[in-house]
Amino acid sequence: MTRSKWRLLLSMFAVLAIMAIAVACGDDDDDDGGDDTSGGGGGNATPTAQVQKPSGTITIGATQFETWDPHFSDFAQDITHMVYVWRGLYHLDLNDKPQPAMADGAPKVSSDGKTYTITLKKDLKWSDGQPLTAEDFVLGIQRTCNPDVAGHYQYILTNIVGCDDYYAAADATPAKKAELQKAVGVKAIDATTLEIKINEAQPTFPTLLALWPTFPAPKHKLAAVDAPWPGPLENVYNGPFMPKAYTEKATMELVPNPNWVGQPVGVEKVVLKYVDDPAVLNQAYRTGEVDATVANKPELDKLKTEFAKELYLYPATRTIGLEFNVTKAPVDKPEVRLALSQATDRTTMMKVVFKDANTATTSWVPPARNGLKGGEYDSILGFNPTKAKENLAKAGYPDGKGFPELTLLLVDSATNKLLGEFLQAEWKKHLGIDLKIEITDSKTRSSRFNASDFQLVTGGWQEDYPDPENWFLGLWETGGSINKTKTSVKALDDTIAKAKFNTNDEERRKLYRDAEKLLLEQANGIAPLFHTLAAMLVKPHIKGMVENKRPGDTFVPGDWYIELWTTSKK
Amino acid sequence: MLAYAIRRVLAIIPLIFAIATITFFLMHSVEGGPFDADKPLSPATKANLERRYGLDDPLPVQYVTYLKNLARLDFGISFANNRDISDIIKERMRVSVQLGIAAFLFATIFGLSLGVISSLNQNGLGDYVGVFVATAGAAMPSIVLAPLLTIAFAVELGWFKVLSTDYGFTGWFQGDFSNWKQVVLPTIGLGFLPMAFIARITRASMLEVLRQDYIRTARAKGLREFGVVMRHAAKNALIPVLTVLGPIFAGLITGSLVIERMFAIPGLGGEFVRSVIIRDYGLIMGVTVFFAVVIAVMNLIVDLLYGIADPRIRY
Repeated sequence: MTRSKWRLLLSMFAVLAIMAIAVACGDDDDDDGGDDTSGGGGGNATPTAQVQKPSGTITIGATQFETWDPHFSDFAQDITHMVYVWRGLYHLDLNDKPQPAMADGAPKVSSDGKTYTITLKKDLKWSDGQPLTAEDFVLGIQRTCNPDVAGHYQYILTNIVGCDDYYAAADATPAKKAELQKAVGVKAIDATTLEIKINEAQPTFPTLLALWPTFPAPKHKLAAVDAPWPGPLENVYNGPFMPKAYTEKATMELVPNPNWVGQPVGVEKVVLKYVDDPAVLNQAYRTGEVDATVANKPELDKLKTEFAKELYLYPATRTIGLEFNVTKAPVDKPEVRLALSQATDRTTMMKVVFKDANTATTSWVPPARNGLKGGEYDSILGFNPTKAKENLAKAGYPDGKGFPELTLLLVDSATNKLLGEFLQAEWKKHLGIDLKIEITDSKTRSSRFNASDFQLVTGGWQEDYPDPENWFLGLWETGGSINKTKTSVKALDDTIAKAKFNTNDEERRKLYRDAEKLLLEQANGIAPLFHTLAAMLVKPHIKGMVENKRPGDTFVPGDWYIELWTTSKK
Repeated sequence: MLAYAIRRVLAIIPLIFAIATITFFLMHSVEGGPFDADKPLSPATKANLERRYGLDDPLPVQYVTYLKNLARLDFGISFANNRDISDIIKERMRVSVQLGIAAFLFATIFGLSLGVISSLNQNGLGDYVGVFVATAGAAMPSIVLAPLLTIAFAVELGWFKVLSTDYGFTGWFQGDFSNWKQVVLPTIGLGFLPMAFIARITRASMLEVLRQDYIRTARAKGLREFGVVMRHAAKNALIPVLTVLGPIFAGLITGSLVIERMFAIPGLGGEFVRSVIIRDYGLIMGVTVFFAVVIAVMNLIVDLLYGIADPRIRY
């Protein structure tokens, strides 16, 4: 080979490398530009009544959000981000009660309970200094009801006049859509007064006004109701913090919003590090690269001794159980469902399978919601091999003889495989039956579940908002929009219908307790196994990451109250 | 050679078409769609979402629409976050390319050196060390190596960081080396296996070449050993190495799920796997087609390089 050919070879490599680096560097300018725009908005406004100067930086482990649009998303990590930077008319306090956020006091409700008049606080501003008016709240609700935005959580606003009609008009003409948009029962009376009309008096309605689907939409940033929602650095905010820098899948920096009107914030900066793997996050916690993060549950045993004083375990409002398709043999027979539930030793399961990262239960609604102590259904669904055998015999399968094939559908994970093996062993031992396990990926499992194409799955519910109704509506009524277990119990339907728009709160809550009993006494659709626990690691220099009773804590404790966080580390 | 190159470039077009078609129908035949959420969506919401993303059309219509857009290099938007797929690929690629090049340089430099040193000290200490490292590298997949590196050098010794969210070298050109603690471990983690591979091939190839007559001749006519090794032996021993460098380079710059996950690097490998898991059809198609182009182009470049490295090859 000649020298010139070598040169050619080398130069080709060099060209390749340079091209690759050029691709790599090409976007830098764009990113810098983005930073500039975001910086401009913050500087010109004066902070309101600040008690003490915020100080220090807190770095937390986080999960990359999917979308930045509160009127579209339903991902837990998205919602967590949203309450850092936006707030609605109300905000749920530590006891899950709606307290005024952007609203000035409680709503005025008409005598029939169907018209809400809400006054906004005076001189509200977005983070860019533009006025935040009632119109912005109108637009926010209209966006959630808009069929082209296709918001995942529209169902929460179904009681607002005209919301369902608008949402169903995907194929209508633009003129018709505009008409339906106007017909949605939310109006700005003036710049600071909002009127919302609902179809039926609904005691939980104020709570919904604290949730992301009702957050305001900046009218001055959106050309139309279905215009694309601006990204983190282009958007404007009314919450305690706002993004200052952002790189997708890598990191976000939040700084105090100068136009925030709530309790003054405690820290100068919150840095979010986006990491997919909790095990990696825990290593980063060990080296101090993050100050707070979710704990890696499979490592819980180790973490309990390593970080005895920094590990927080508290109930998240989530229930998982054995879900039965009640139209498929053999679990169409109540005795079989009861037998399977009674042949399951939940206490041992929590230790062996979940390393005590969850708490065993036989209740559907967590104690924080139904006002009970828990354990009310232990005698019906709890571990009792003798009763289990009796029930199986009653169903026509004494000692498991002649028991039809039963398949449990599970999502592929190490813990789930363990869970499957545990159930196989338990049911073989106590009932003499063979359980088949089918492991799939999560979308396949969801697809089968949504099509009611299963006999038995593990699954359940994570609360959207703090009220027992959220544990029933749509889920357990005959033909309910997300009733995939095909549960159909007349008395249960009647009880839920009576409770739904009941304005007597005490009676309403009692009716939901009755509904829970009707649901569980024959394990209709579900035999609950456990409530999940949230497990978080927080460095001692951080204060104010207070626990609430919602599953809103996705990254660290107290995600819904970022304004309360402080750090003594300088 | 130019005619050959043009022919090969043109051949990429039907290849991409075939890959796009196969991927499209395979992807849609897999159970579960993008809106089969863990928490079921109401039928009204699902219908609106499918309409928003054109999934309510019959499959052949979707296929034609997709091909039309593809011809315009429009990959569409991601179902998960409504972002332009080209933007997502560009952003992730930026990181993956930097990680890939760094790992490639690491693998090539150390792999070649180890291979040459081993071959020159056959059955000596240098050889044993080289072979040991090469065998260890080949036997230890990155899923084992990466956490070990983290535990040893980040958690225990504290020399480097666990999280490499700011991985990249663009700052280095402006004199900002602040992220140096984030780049070392992922580079080694990704480059170790190809390094071991290159070392093994280099060693074997060198041993073969060193036994050739012309090497003896070169020595006989009194050339210095360094010249013999570098100019006569290494040059010829490089041809088999070159064969593997192309695919290795393509493999490294297209991202690695494991390394990205273990070091929290926002690259393309993780994005690709995630797109399949969440059935983000547009993103799956975009990344597959993109990978196909990168790999086809890399193969073409390697084929052209053969001709330069080995004059016996004609096109």
